[in-house]
Amino acid sequence: MAETKGFFTDTTLCIGCKACEVACKQWNQLPDDGFLFTGMSYDNTVHLGASTWRHVAFIERPVPLTPQHDGAFSWLFSSDVCKHCARAGCLESCPTGAIVRTEYGSVYVQPDVCNGCGYCIVSCPFGVINRREEDGQAWKCTLCYDRLREDMIPACAKACPTESIQFGNLEDLREHAKERVRKLHESGAHNAYLYGATAEDQPGTEGLNAFFLLMDKPEVYNLPPDPCVPTKKVKDSWLAAGATAAAIALVAVGAGLFGGRERV
Amino acid sequence: MSGTAVRYKDSVQPVRTDSRDIDRRVAVLTGEAADQQASGTAGEHAQKQAEVWRNLPQPEANDPTYYDRPLLNEPVWKWAIPTYDYIGGLTGAALVLGAAAQIGDTASRERLIRRCHRIGFAGVVVSAALLVEDLGKPSRVLNMLRVFRPTSVMNMGAWILMGSSVLAFGAFVLRPRKGRLRRVGQFCGYAAGVFGAALATYTGVLTGNTAVPLWQASRKILPILFGVSAMSSVGTLFELTVESAEERRLTKLFGTVGQTAELAAEIVMERQAAVVPRVARPLHRGLGGFLWRSAMLLTGTGLLLGLTPRHTRNRRIVSGLLGTLGSVLMRFTVEHVGTVSARDARASFHQQRAGYGAAEVTGRTAAVL
Repeated sequence: MAETKGFFTDTTLCIGCKACEVACKQWNQLPDDGFLFTGMSYDNTVHLGASTWRHVAFIERPVPLTPQHDGAFSWLFSSDVCKHCARAGCLESCPTGAIVRTEYGSVYVQPDVCNGCGYCIVSCPFGVINRREEDGQAWKCTLCYDRLREDMIPACAKACPTESIQFGNLEDLREHAKERVRKLHESGAHNAYLYGATAEDQPGTEGLNAFFLLMDKPEVYNLPPDPCVPTKKVKDSWLAAGATAAAIALVAVGAGLFGGRERV
Repeated sequence: MSGTAVRYKDSVQPVRTDSRDIDRRVAVLTGEAADQQASGTAGEHAQKQAEVWRNLPQPEANDPTYYDRPLLNEPVWKWAIPTYDYIGGLTGAALVLGAAAQIGDTASRERLIRRCHRIGFAGVVVSAALLVEDLGKPSRVLNMLRVFRPTSVMNMGAWILMGSSVLAFGAFVLRPRKGRLRRVGQFCGYAAGVFGAALATYTGVLTGNTAVPLWQASRKILPILFGVSAMSSVGTLFELTVESAEERRLTKLFGTVGQTAELAAEIVMERQAAVVPRVARPLHRGLGGFLWRSAMLLTGTGLLLGLTPRHTRNRRIVSGLLGTLGSVLMRFTVEHVGTVSARDARASFHQQRAGYGAAEVTGRTAAVL
């Protein structure tokens, strides 16, 4: 098994050029999502989905960027992607085994096995995976599995002109990211922090193979503050189901014993 | 050269491509998304209009969202799934009742047992048909039986339905026979009761085991609500169809307990969700709120009417209808409010900030800012 690979998306370096979105569409031969004008800053992509595997968020804030003091306005850009969670909600909920963990530690949907049940969609705490209406199947980022097999890096990371998207061995990326946060703090950007870098940072997913460096609350980037893979809590539900099943049986037996006879 | 010169614009063949905009005569599809079906042409897509904002996003420094866009992708389930939840519940509870009625001296209950097995058998057939309808083709249902995955509630559900189907068929076909076949049928009836209890409750586990904030908040009560609603479904169905007074006394007791518990579980679910007010919103507002209240009202009225003395046939039919409608509506409402909940990013954010995200498992929230 190869080492676990992943993305470190350093949002402080993102310039919102959307080269990652284009490279992803082009390499993977994804259909378009319609050409819409949303009025949401320069973001006309809106959200990750079945045919949108990279999405650049454009955040306009009435906040001065930490080291800069001219005017209370700043941009935040962030290229969102499937997080390839260490505990993946989609993978654990998939009833067909279509969603698998690859040798690179990424989470991969096998199109020939997926039956389009849609359970992965509601199991993803990040709203990444979605079903395509035309073929009724679930799709998401593959971490460019085909490119990795050929020793190439994913298309988005290759296309990124500022190295905002960095690809590599997860361990190296974590080291590098920590160093980057330290440097940012030194230079006065005290808000910089890592989102989902380790199991410590994000116990609900036990760490993201595609983690982020953020400058504001996760909500600002449309990321959940404390996401949890639903299966982590499913025991409660099964216990409730078991107790209910027993109660139904008990009432049924009781009804059989006492309900059937004419009362005297 | 002159005379045969072709101008560039005439040399370009207009190509009607799909929304990939790849000319398939000169290019092949081999990418990771090559299997995605792309309909429409690039030109058609250019005509699409973005949805106009009904409400402008409200930027709030302390309660931020991303242009008030949803965080989650909403459930894609259509009418077949809540219908399956209802039919599956009905089937499961009928199989439990059938198994319980098999215990002891059954002479006076033969018709009831037979009826339960008939509902069980018809129910699993309809359930399977509904799954096919939802997935598009039968082979896609079978895909779920290629693996056994305890982490996937839906996979467990597929096996539960599979087991229930075989056993309900066995009980329905073999139990009316004689000798050894009857004993096999008798065994199938008992075993179908066990699987039926699982069939009646697992859909609640399935719905709760999601990232949709309202469903997630209700993950402990949903299996209970779905289970007791299944009892109520059987009870109200028998109100409508069963003629013999003796059978009715038995099913009535079963159904009334279920219906009372159904109403109670609905109240509990609403209260639990309201711990984080934003999460309970779909139960209080708009169409979701109206449907939720209606379902409770129908169930409540049906229950009261069923409990009145002087139980005439007409009154029985009205009470049975009201109860059935209440149970069916509850299933559809749970589906609907889940979709509404998934569209509200703040519901997820507030829930997780209030300590009902991973903090519920780990005891601490990991959010840095």
